[in-house]
Amino acid sequence: MAKDKEEVTQVNRRATRLSLSTANSTNDIEAAKSFNSQTLTLDNLVFGREPIGLDDLLSCFPGRRVQILEILHLLGTIKSSMPPMFIYGSASTGKTSIILQVFHHLRRPFVYISCLSCYSPRILFESILNQLLFHKKDAVNGYSSVKKCEKPSDFVNFIREALINVIDSLKENSKKMSSSKLKGQVNGRMIYLIFDNFDLVREWDKSSSILPLLFGLCDILKIPEVGFIFISNSSPDTYYSNTGYMEPILVYFPEYTEDDLRQIFMRNQANQKLYSSFLDVVLRPFCRVSRRLDELSTAFSTLFKKYCEPLSDLGVAPNEDMKRRLFSHIQPHIAHSLNEIFSVASQPSVESEANQETRKKGSAKKSVGSGDFDEIDFHMSTSAKYLLISAFLASRNPATLDASLFDSTGGSNSRKRKRNCNLLIKYFLLRVSEKSVERREAEEQELFMKGPGTFSLERLLAIFQCITSVGEDSFGEEGGADGVTVEGESNGLMSDVLLQLSSLCNVNFIVKGGSCPLEGSTRYRSTVSEDLALKVARSLKFPLSKYLFRR
Amino acid sequence: MGRKNPASQKALNLLRNRLCNPNFIFKPLSDSSDSNYSKLKFLVSSSVTEACNNSILLLGPRGSGKIAVLELVLNDLLLEYPDTLSVIMLNGLLHSDDNCAIKEIARQLCMEHNLMFSKMASFDDNSQFMIAMLRECGLAHKTIIFVLNEFDLFAQGKQRLLYSLLDAMQSVTSQAVVIGVSCRLDADQLLEKRVRSRFSHRKLLFLPPSKEELQRLLEHILSLPMDSSLPRDYAVEFNGKIKNILADERFKEIINTYLNSDSTVNHLLRFLFQAVSYMDLESGFLSLENFKTALPNFQRQPKLESIKDCSILELYILVCMKRLEVKEQNSYNFNSVMKEYKSIHDSFKTSDYYARSVCLLAFEHLLQRELICFTDNRGYSHLVEFRPVKLLISYVELHHGLKSYRSCPVSYLIMCFELILEFWS
Amino acid sequence: MAPSAATADSSPPPSTSGTTENHLQPVFVLHKAASRKYGRKSTGTTKTKRRIDLSSSIPKNFEKTDSESTEDFDDDPYVNLRMEAFEIVWTKIESTIKDVLWNINTNVFNEIGHWVRESFNTIKSFGMLTSHEATQAFPIMKDVSSKQLFTGLVLTKNMEFVDDLLTFEELGHFLKSQGCHVANLSSLDFMAKSGIGGCLRSLLRQFVGASSDAIDMSIMASWYRGQGNYNNPVVVIVNDIERCSGSILSNFILMLSEWVLKVPVILIMGVATTLDAPKSILPSNVLQCLSSYKFTLGTPAERMDAVVDAVFVKQCSGFIISHKVAVFMSNYFVRQDGTLTSFVRALKVACVQHFSMEPLSFLIRGFSLEEDGQVLHDGLLSKMILKHAFNLPSYERNKIEEQSVERFAIGLSRLKRLKNQWGTMVSCLYEAAKGDKIQLLDLLREALDPTSCNSTTSNSHIKLEKDIGASSSKDCQQYPMLRRGGFICQAVRKVKDLPASQLWKLLKRWEGLTMNVNEMHEKIKELLSLLKLENGKSSKQHMVDISKFLVLTTMLWKIGMKDLKFELEMGKRNPQRNHARRNASQSQFNIEDSKVVNVKAAALMECMVWDYMQPIECLPFHEIICFKNVEKLQLALIGDPRRRIQVDLLEFYKILRCSCCSRIGDTLSPSMHDTSIMYNLAQEHGDYINLHDWYNSFKSTVLCPINKGKNKSKQSPIPKKRKEMNEPKKQSEASIQYPLLYIIFFNVLDLLT
Repeated sequence: MAKDKEEVTQVNRRATRLSLSTANSTNDIEAAKSFNSQTLTLDNLVFGREPIGLDDLLSCFPGRRVQILEILHLLGTIKSSMPPMFIYGSASTGKTSIILQVFHHLRRPFVYISCLSCYSPRILFESILNQLLFHKKDAVNGYSSVKKCEKPSDFVNFIREALINVIDSLKENSKKMSSSKLKGQVNGRMIYLIFDNFDLVREWDKSSSILPLLFGLCDILKIPEVGFIFISNSSPDTYYSNTGYMEPILVYFPEYTEDDLRQIFMRNQANQKLYSSFLDVVLRPFCRVSRRLDELSTAFSTLFKKYCEPLSDLGVAPNEDMKRRLFSHIQPHIAHSLNEIFSVASQPSVESEANQETRKKGSAKKSVGSGDFDEIDFHMSTSAKYLLISAFLASRNPATLDASLFDSTGGSNSRKRKRNCNLLIKYFLLRVSEKSVERREAEEQELFMKGPGTFSLERLLAIFQCITSVGEDSFGEEGGADGVTVEGESNGLMSDVLLQLSSLCNVNFIVKGGSCPLEGSTRYRSTVSEDLALKVARSLKFPLSKYLFRR
Repeated sequence: MGRKNPASQKALNLLRNRLCNPNFIFKPLSDSSDSNYSKLKFLVSSSVTEACNNSILLLGPRGSGKIAVLELVLNDLLLEYPDTLSVIMLNGLLHSDDNCAIKEIARQLCMEHNLMFSKMASFDDNSQFMIAMLRECGLAHKTIIFVLNEFDLFAQGKQRLLYSLLDAMQSVTSQAVVIGVSCRLDADQLLEKRVRSRFSHRKLLFLPPSKEELQRLLEHILSLPMDSSLPRDYAVEFNGKIKNILADERFKEIINTYLNSDSTVNHLLRFLFQAVSYMDLESGFLSLENFKTALPNFQRQPKLESIKDCSILELYILVCMKRLEVKEQNSYNFNSVMKEYKSIHDSFKTSDYYARSVCLLAFEHLLQRELICFTDNRGYSHLVEFRPVKLLISYVELHHGLKSYRSCPVSYLIMCFELILEFWS
Repeated sequence: MAPSAATADSSPPPSTSGTTENHLQPVFVLHKAASRKYGRKSTGTTKTKRRIDLSSSIPKNFEKTDSESTEDFDDDPYVNLRMEAFEIVWTKIESTIKDVLWNINTNVFNEIGHWVRESFNTIKSFGMLTSHEATQAFPIMKDVSSKQLFTGLVLTKNMEFVDDLLTFEELGHFLKSQGCHVANLSSLDFMAKSGIGGCLRSLLRQFVGASSDAIDMSIMASWYRGQGNYNNPVVVIVNDIERCSGSILSNFILMLSEWVLKVPVILIMGVATTLDAPKSILPSNVLQCLSSYKFTLGTPAERMDAVVDAVFVKQCSGFIISHKVAVFMSNYFVRQDGTLTSFVRALKVACVQHFSMEPLSFLIRGFSLEEDGQVLHDGLLSKMILKHAFNLPSYERNKIEEQSVERFAIGLSRLKRLKNQWGTMVSCLYEAAKGDKIQLLDLLREALDPTSCNSTTSNSHIKLEKDIGASSSKDCQQYPMLRRGGFICQAVRKVKDLPASQLWKLLKRWEGLTMNVNEMHEKIKELLSLLKLENGKSSKQHMVDISKFLVLTTMLWKIGMKDLKFELEMGKRNPQRNHARRNASQSQFNIEDSKVVNVKAAALMECMVWDYMQPIECLPFHEIICFKNVEKLQLALIGDPRRRIQVDLLEFYKILRCSCCSRIGDTLSPSMHDTSIMYNLAQEHGDYINLHDWYNSFKSTVLCPINKGKNKSKQSPIPKKRKEMNEPKKQSEASIQYPLLYIIFFNVLDLLT
């Protein structure tokens, strides 16, 4: 999808639009009230209201002059038809907005279909037809589309009629215009179908049939007055088909160069000098990671605030030493946000003041000691914790090692050792069935640089038992010495392990792997990061590191 | 775009519309006696005149003008025998399933003979209706011509449509021609036995035009007509220039280099279209430069382009993967790539070493650019770094991309490459 | 070893064990850990080791409790009384819990609402759209951030999401009341199989209502335009993103962000674990168009404390739980899913059972009301109840002969008063302990512990004086209540070393808390005044006015003083205090200042703990308000069906009352039911059983006469069986047919695993 962040409306135009909208916001509302009565015309197929000149168009998109001119050439004059056009280039290089603005400039009618919003063939067909037949879904018609069509054959018949109607009306419209000199809204005899996010169609389940259809639509319809424009993120060679497609005309949008980016960012900045100095500092290092406009802009918006922090008024034009100061100020932030550049969670100002009491608690905790950082910041029941740890172990350690590990951990207590012993016996007997699987997996893992290994439910439970037996004593003091506690915990831990397991699966800490071929039982794998596991272990006072088998 | 003289404007439109209208293009190719056009025309007209059934396949690569020629033929025939033949057009893309194919046939038949068509009619009703119509037309000595575009798609599935059609044509009364059009040369091999036995194995192969044909074609396309609204002297001058250009050696070689990539007519048309659309309207004449500028657009190497789009970090990752491949590590995933990345960093002390998260993001960018892809299609989405991946670009492409990388500081990347070379030798 | 081993057992590979090729593959016997406890006490021979000891098997204490309650008297009039009492009490509890939770969430909700408004304004600041633009298919290209989708990540600090369902519902209502259009989606709407259409459909069903079959965002847009004024944001709440399928969710987000200018959607997503969850689920290009803010709900522990505080400690309804029950419930909370829902459920079960079992429980009604004992005066009280009341063990503990209504009433009111005091004390302690990680639940558990005060003669002051004199010096070891390491003790100690300012705050809070118990109130007042005094005075005179103070204060202050002296001399000995003195020779006195008050406060705490905080279970008549029966609660909550079955298998003769087996007891006889024989055998063998041996031993028991069976079943180990397995074989083949046996075998297997 074209995440385009161009400021397509330069200031004055924005102003007019705003004033205008505020002016008729009222009759907007009443228009919305008399929604069904309001009839749509050809004008609804045109983008934008006020005409936009070529120079404006070019100045809106720095670094895109070549592409715009090429597109204009290919679109040609009013009457001239054109073969399908295929515009491609990686995300946020201005494909969509440039096409829209070009049509805005040419004032030609078009139908826009985003294959993102129209997520299935049927929706696609119907939304095209709706636009061509000037139909709007609203409460009156029960939000239904003008025609119900799912089969491509029906679609082609419908769209042919619709297009012919539209083209006729365009013809007489242009006649009117030529006769009466007044400048009408719509311009030209052609109508264009614009398919945006076209690469998404490949993921549709019926893509094998729908792709050739859409590509070949122009040959099927054979209406010279219809132009097709496909906008895609991925290059044409990624659209496979066994019998090939009709070659469209390609237009390529390369990534912005550093200078283009600079120009784009410099546009409509309040304090040009300041911002340019900011860009001097920031742009180069960030471009080495990614030149995608959207990502950069999000990163810069926060960084620039930081950059301005030391300044009293933002109007100043920075001189050299100030620049130096600012640079030294911003330096650490850059380094940080370079590596954290794409972090999601941002601390809102709102939260900071409103969350204070929770903050206070946190700080209080810190003050008491046992620093907050090494705690898991969400609640898990004890058994879930143990289960998590055992799953972690089960998928980190090779099964062949369980014996040694857990035997060693039997601890002083003879009872436990015995228990572990017959646990281990059980392992061996279990692994009679399991061994081959395990071995195969071992190799596979060697291949894959240790993706977390899978394990059977039995193994998980057994390890779980061992661990809990070891962790017992930690309970001892925790739960008070009285028998009730002991009982409570004993069946507290063992009672519904499977429930805990399922809830762990729900939060994606444990994933159901594919069921292993030999025995039908499903196999699990834990996807917990090591530090999280360590945190959990710490919260249980459980010596996890002793059990981890390091390579 | 400045002031432009209306004549050149008109001329441009004329040319463009020509280029978008295949029927015009293929006229000149049709007049010779052994052209597909005359063969096809002869066949169909004979079957019309002798009131017999017939079937034929038009085979040829995409854009070699099968449909165009067919349409020329049909138009001429419609002029010759105005009311004795009716054409039914089907397209495999639309009517590949028999049900809606039959329906479509019924619909078109109804339209031809202006009868009422009921949407509700079932498959059997429609097929019976079709057969009945076939008989009727046969008795009335009207020929029905079925054009099955994308014929191979009709051959998918149970081929009930084809069977019922061809079977109906076995009866003496009926009088129909089935013309299958496909770009699969083995289209007739796809047919079931019962269908193939009823199918006459005539084929017409559509080959790319020969040199002199091409020359004639170009001239025919690019030269303006004398008898049009265009000012005569302008047209003359225009055509003169065109002649010069066509005669020009450089132009010939452009065309040759161009045809090396793809020699179908349609492809050529695209090229010409682009060239024409560059025609500058002040002078109003085509120039060699137009063709020169149009050429590179048709020698695109998308992979190379997207390599150029990559950021430095992404290039690093690509190089790491390539190195892994060279080391005969036949399957690897993000983690192994990261290891390689680290090793490169250690050995070269590069300035840019980024956190794992950032690298993962660059990795995802590469996935989006489709320079790399997962080798397994199992959807453990949240185990991205463990899923095995593979490069989609060759060594040469990558090397080329690096060499021609826009901004300079890829020197050590190149160095890494020298290492790769060592591995190879 | 075995019992523990039993717990450690893992289930056998289900399919493989039965199939014929691996007859000899061992079968593992899994027992629930419930049997571990009994295992601990019974360290016997290999024979008895596997026995689930039946002494504590559930059905028995069923009978016991029921019988003792019922046989005393028939309580027809009181049943419905109790029932309605239960209604009243429970509704009270429920409502309190509800608004407690609401209070906890409320400021987060406000925060979110505020944020929603803000972000909506930012969206609107991109300019107003004409109705045509707003419903047109092509996107509105405005600004850099015009594609950003405002997203609130709500951290629900709990892995389980049961509680949060309710929370998000409430959030939805709250936002609706703020005038937003709200839709609540759950992970079920983001299933991979239903596809993107699924979640759009449910979204539209909540907003538009009309769900046509072809659904896309344009419907949303036109609906929103149809709403008339465009001053309300559209809020979409997704309960739990961890459970959503990543691809669908990301598609959804992309779609929303494409339409965000036309339909100002603001997303709120519940994150159960950490902020990494969205990162791991969504690809980078999706994360790109989220501008996310994080909010935090209260942790389960906090909620828990609030609830406990409101229900038990504060004056909610007279109902309260005994120590054991508290322990059990807190364990249940920590070890099990740790959701409030389960806790409340447990509470309700407890409440129900209390009211169903305790005949006098209907008196609790009166408890919650202000004027006590009104229930008593309206003559409902029959002799029988009185008798029952005065037979209550708690009452018999302290003998007062004549059993009159008045005495009963007095007893009740006293009970009530003491409970109040207890409650206030607990909350005071909690106040003191707050900064620490001490949870109210633990505090409560300790405060309820009946062992803490061994003898509750109603006026314990004399004894108190005695041992306080000694004990305070030995740092309250005599108070079992103030057991070293106990939470209460921690709290008190914390009071000792609070900085003056915080101490002041604490005292203030205490003052507030103890409003209704005026003795405490007085004392705390005095202490406050003293603190004021000392803050005022310079360090020199303070000894003087301490002494002055000493003269006019009560015994209590003596304790305090002793304590002070003790502290001082302790200080002399204590090296690090010396150290402090050395390097802060000047400030030493002020240290002492604050110390003095701290010590006094601590001392006050201790005595108050001593004489106001008598555990409920030590009070007479407490059975009326206090629910004690853990086993029943436990049974109701984590009832252990498998164990029941196993028990029944072991003592099948209780069920089928056949003459033959009942006398034999635990030895096996052929006349037994096959399944139970199998099971018995399984019990006798070790941890895992060779299927073959198992079968043979079974056959031998079935085929041979009883006496033989007896001594055979005596000698357990396997090889012997092997030997003598041969001679019964011949006649066996006729009598036992395999298939049948297999069926039984599998049944047993299912039982065992």
